Amino acid sequence: MIPIVEWGLLIFLLIYPFAVSFLTAGDSAPDFNNFWVIRVTTMLILAKLAISFDLCWGYSGIMSFGQGLFFGLAGYVVAKFAEELGWLQIFFVVPMGMLVGLLAALLVGWFLLLGKRTPTVIFVALGTLTASYAAERLVAGWLWVGAGNGLSIWDFLMIGSYELEPGLIFYYVALLFLCLVYLGSRYLVRSQFGLVLAGMRQNEERIAFFGYRVQIYKAIVFSFAGMVAGLAGALYSYHEGFVGPSSVGIGISTYAVLYGLFGGIGTLIGPVIGAGVIEILRLFLSDIDAIRNYWPVVLGIIMLVVVAYRPTGLLGLIVSERERIGSFGIAVRGKAAKETPPARPERTEGDDGAA
Amino acid sequence: MELDAIAKLVFDILAFSSIMVLVVLGLAVIASMMGIFNLGHGEFVLLGAYTVFVFRELGLPEWAGMLAAPFLVAIVGLFVEATVIRRLYVAPVIAMLATYAVGLIIRETVRGLIGGQFYSIDEPIQGFIQIGDVSLSAWRTVIIFITLAVMAACYLFLTRTSFGLQIRGALENPMLARASGVSTSRLYAFTFAFGAALAGLAGALMVPLFSLSADLGLRFLVQAFLAVMLGGVGTFEGPVLGGALIGAMVPGFQWLRELPLLNALIQPIVAEVLVFVVALIIVKFRPQGFVSKGRI
Repeated sequence: MIPIVEWGLLIFLLIYPFAVSFLTAGDSAPDFNNFWVIRVTTMLILAKLAISFDLCWGYSGIMSFGQGLFFGLAGYVVAKFAEELGWLQIFFVVPMGMLVGLLAALLVGWFLLLGKRTPTVIFVALGTLTASYAAERLVAGWLWVGAGNGLSIWDFLMIGSYELEPGLIFYYVALLFLCLVYLGSRYLVRSQFGLVLAGMRQNEERIAFFGYRVQIYKAIVFSFAGMVAGLAGALYSYHEGFVGPSSVGIGISTYAVLYGLFGGIGTLIGPVIGAGVIEILRLFLSDIDAIRNYWPVVLGIIMLVVVAYRPTGLLGLIVSERERIGSFGIAVRGKAAKETPPARPERTEGDDGAA
Repeated sequence: MELDAIAKLVFDILAFSSIMVLVVLGLAVIASMMGIFNLGHGEFVLLGAYTVFVFRELGLPEWAGMLAAPFLVAIVGLFVEATVIRRLYVAPVIAMLATYAVGLIIRETVRGLIGGQFYSIDEPIQGFIQIGDVSLSAWRTVIIFITLAVMAACYLFLTRTSFGLQIRGALENPMLARASGVSTSRLYAFTFAFGAALAGLAGALMVPLFSLSADLGLRFLVQAFLAVMLGGVGTFEGPVLGGALIGAMVPGFQWLRELPLLNALIQPIVAEVLVFVVALIIVKFRPQGFVSKGRI
């Protein structure tokens, strides 16, 4: 089922800009840089952020409330480079964003994951939350990076001498990067490395007893996820032409969590769908006057319902448990279905303060 | 540095610590009793503060709002426990995510109600208390005394009453408590409401010192988490100590700015972030907390 969803989504995304441009054009000539193409480009970028959260929580049990930190930090750095030095080349901007995300995630990961004692889920969750909150407060009060107003990027991203305006070409660039991120992540989680991750989410202690250094594995995945978030952040700040405290802090981090949980964690396509659906909801709900101020409440309710009643998310509706988890090596028929891991990482030892 | 200024600093530290102790106590009570780290705790603080604001908007005195806040927030806590948390006792991590969602709902609702604005609320008791040369803010004195009274009452309640005995029993061994005819689910509901009430009280008392905004709760959640981590989990004294320390750091770093050399170095915003950084570094190098083991 997942391959059908993947290919279906890819084909849809490939033809979407032309379809929507011709549909909305009416009698006049189609405008390929129209609103609907630009909005979906944003979704494609946020989908990468969603994947980065899913790599953390869905694949390695790191409850990260701080993906926004890597996302926003990369955005700030590339915006600052554009402002001070005028370095706009995509071949510089994208690797720079990835590097910033990677380094920030390495630092946070070293701090939170590689301690003397094994960190609990709560510790990691609140530690990432704290980092993200602190970063938001810092940039909101720091004049050099625009304080509360953030930084605007007045120029467009460049490929050689071509200016990449938000629109059709940017859409395909974002789609290309999404595919690269998707394939890279899939390679990671389907490799032998991913097998260890799969073992970790079934029984972390047992994997540790086998001699794997679980925390190192977690830190590697966390850093990789930070790199992906950094890539997304660099593209996002150029696409919106702006980066501000809100793209570093709790707000965007919460969105990343929502995309993942809503779409279905533990699969890579789930968060992409989640990002798309939630962004479409945001687009339409925030347009209705009656609930404009309250639409984030709707998101909270969605999160509550998903967490309490439907932990497998949207994708769980159409995809079987076994396929969601994936398989490694030679498939074992019949028996494997019975032995599939639980729908979500069960880490009941993570309850801080349990007497 | 004059005596006057030092006394003022110590007094400020005491007042901020008192608030943090109230917040952290509520969080720690829920965490140690039910094994659930309540990520919506900051929003309970926010609700307490918001209650005072609503009372003022209705033309009622602020102190009435502060009196009502713990009870109203306790009712909200009871409702949340009965509808959401109760289902999730078996899976603390999922419960944690659920409390985050509850916090998100409360936060965004309040944001919708008050808009993106900041409101300042007057202290119900204004003026100063004069002791010798030192004049102390009356309201901060009240906060310190209320906190001391609440802590004493908590302690007496837990050690002297039969309900307190049930709570201690359920904390020690929930299975045995159930077998002995103690309704643990009733106790859990009570504990959750009690923790929420403490948060509500803290929010109501501190709102004159800070200004009311929708993101107020987040700040307290993050600080309370650091306090629990600093103090050590699973004890009664630890979080209280950690809360006092975090509460002390906030005015402490602000005060450092008055020294000539550090003034340029520590901007106001850096002072706030420095609290997080210092706390995280302490946690990194002393992960077991100040009080590694103890009992209630």
